Amino acid sequence: MATVTPTGVEIDQRTLTAMVRAMFPHANFPDGPYARTAAAIVDAAQNDVRMGAQLAQGMRLLDVAGGAPFAQLDAETAGAVLRGMSGTAFFEAVRSQTVLTLYNDPEVWSLLGYEGPSFEQGGYLHRGFADLDWLPDPRVEEES
Amino acid sequence: MPDTAGNGNVTSAQELGRAAVSGRHFDHDDADVVVVVGSGAGGGTLANELCRQGIRTVVLEAGPHLTADDYSQDEWTAFNQMAWLDARTTSGSWRVARDFPNLPAWTVKAVGGSSTHWAGACPRFKEHEFRAKETYGGGIDGASLLDWPIGADDLGPYYDKGEIKMGVTHRHGRPPLPANNNYKVFANGAERVGYRQYATGPYATNAEPYDGRPATVQDGFNFQGDKQGSKWSTLVAELPKAAKTGKLDLRPDSHVVQITHDGRGHIDGVLYLDADGALQRQRAKAVCVAGNSIETARLLLLSSSPSHPDGLANSSGQVGRNYMRHLTASVYGRFPQPVHMYRGETMAGIIGDESGHDPDRGFAGGFYMEPLSLGVPFLAAFIDPGAWGPEFTAAMDAYDRTAGMWLVGEDMPQETNRVTLNSDVSDQHGLPAPNVHFDDHPNDLAMRDYAWAKGQAVYEAVGADSVTLTPPYPTTHNLGTCRMSERPQDGVVDKFGRAHDVPNLFVSDGSVFTTGAAANPTLTIVALAIRQAEYIGDQVRAGAL
Repeated sequence: MATVTPTGVEIDQRTLTAMVRAMFPHANFPDGPYARTAAAIVDAAQNDVRMGAQLAQGMRLLDVAGGAPFAQLDAETAGAVLRGMSGTAFFEAVRSQTVLTLYNDPEVWSLLGYEGPSFEQGGYLHRGFADLDWLPDPRVEEES
Repeated sequence: MPDTAGNGNVTSAQELGRAAVSGRHFDHDDADVVVVVGSGAGGGTLANELCRQGIRTVVLEAGPHLTADDYSQDEWTAFNQMAWLDARTTSGSWRVARDFPNLPAWTVKAVGGSSTHWAGACPRFKEHEFRAKETYGGGIDGASLLDWPIGADDLGPYYDKGEIKMGVTHRHGRPPLPANNNYKVFANGAERVGYRQYATGPYATNAEPYDGRPATVQDGFNFQGDKQGSKWSTLVAELPKAAKTGKLDLRPDSHVVQITHDGRGHIDGVLYLDADGALQRQRAKAVCVAGNSIETARLLLLSSSPSHPDGLANSSGQVGRNYMRHLTASVYGRFPQPVHMYRGETMAGIIGDESGHDPDRGFAGGFYMEPLSLGVPFLAAFIDPGAWGPEFTAAMDAYDRTAGMWLVGEDMPQETNRVTLNSDVSDQHGLPAPNVHFDDHPNDLAMRDYAWAKGQAVYEAVGADSVTLTPPYPTTHNLGTCRMSERPQDGVVDKFGRAHDVPNLFVSDGSVFTTGAAANPTLTIVALAIRQAEYIGDQVRAGAL
């Protein structure tokens, strides 16, 4: 019986990375952003007893719920395992931290076509704030 | 009056923001000052208008003095730097209580308050919106509708002054902003569904230099403080002017914990925690509270005393009640071709065709549609809170082909929608946290469903592949809780924002809204503050304060 000590929880980051990817599957994302997200979750758990305990317990179940280690499951089975856990404290801890971390990653911004901070480059005034060309230029004045 | 002299005379946002704190210091025992609690759209404007009349004014701002160089164009960094994150709780059936139980509102704790965060949309109230009870029939079940004690005629001249002060586009000769990408989708959709009342404003951001501030560079980060300073805020527009008069003593990191009164029930000062956590007293001849609706009501409730056991100015029992938050909902449309909605002004546009009162639609009151952009971090957090899986990631994958709009409309006041003190939860100072209770009124739900469908139609008219109907974010338009009323038993303050119960206590923010109307509230808050400052000046000169 493993002892759960939240400040020293051992989490398999590869499994956690697989979980985060299965939760938020972007076909064109490399492993980097997902691995960084998993690392951030483990970091957060170091400072949060409840999260650490939930993570330690939840990861154990994750690795048996699909009949094989989670990282080895096909997408369909992995999705079913996750749906079975959705709404639980463990699942929510991972999901909410992932939303905060995965989409706050400059590599992800670039993959999704978001250019982010602009002020140092003079804003978007000369960098395409009005470059949409598949619709006519609309009226900007109020109706007279 | 704003400096309209020419385009060459521009000061940087950093310099203007630094100049908001004057270095003047009035004595803690100086009982001849007016204390203003809060430095946002209401408090900051009021302070400037008082100082210009020669009235020495102490502004106590709970948050730090952030300026342009401090602001970050990373959404979460900016949020954690600027937002009011002190302990708060929620209750009621509104979805925010489930999605964001400790974040009922997205307001700012910093010099300039939420005027540093607002986007800039500046519609006026319509004439009938001051008479919501009369217009909507008064008999809407469960709604505590009341007519304002003032009308469009009373406020009209102050709307003019506010628009001139703020440099609102499309008004008083200010040119419109150009169409950005998000607006192009929005306005073409509007045209194709038959709407006519669309434009890129009125919007309080400079299309060209004005009032010593530069034109926009379309950087897209209005919500994160505006490093350019082209957007009107009290930080860069009102407070530096107030400081220049020599009559302003602005103290950041000063959290007011109690308004104090003498044996006659007249206000004689405030107690506040300074930056070191030491309790200070500032005497005053009048106190004006402008902490945004949640904190304003909370401070009056915290200021209970043996003679006012239910809180200050609360003989009516109305303090904290009739909390309103506007309809709020959003629509995000995904298109076959690029949009890049994040490039440019965050909310520079409006559709007004649905803003009237037309009960045939199945609800009372109206709503505006306004373009809205969120960056990737915030879109992920807010487009469908709690969502995950392939449908969610497909929406995010389409980020650069996405257009967004916000739906903002009148919600019904209800007595039970209410800010109270939570005796079980304290903030970092040990003060009871505010609890915000809110249930959507059936009228709100009917309007939201209708507005979602109309927003969807706008995007489908220009070829959207799919849309997401996004539920309300944490509240940015916090209104009511100290409503203005003709009769003392119906509300907290009179038509000038003076407490019915206390002659030298004023409320100077959106808390005083009797009803919410459909319009974004900042312009009306500013107009009311200008009008209130005139009234206070008259009272001071007459020796009545």
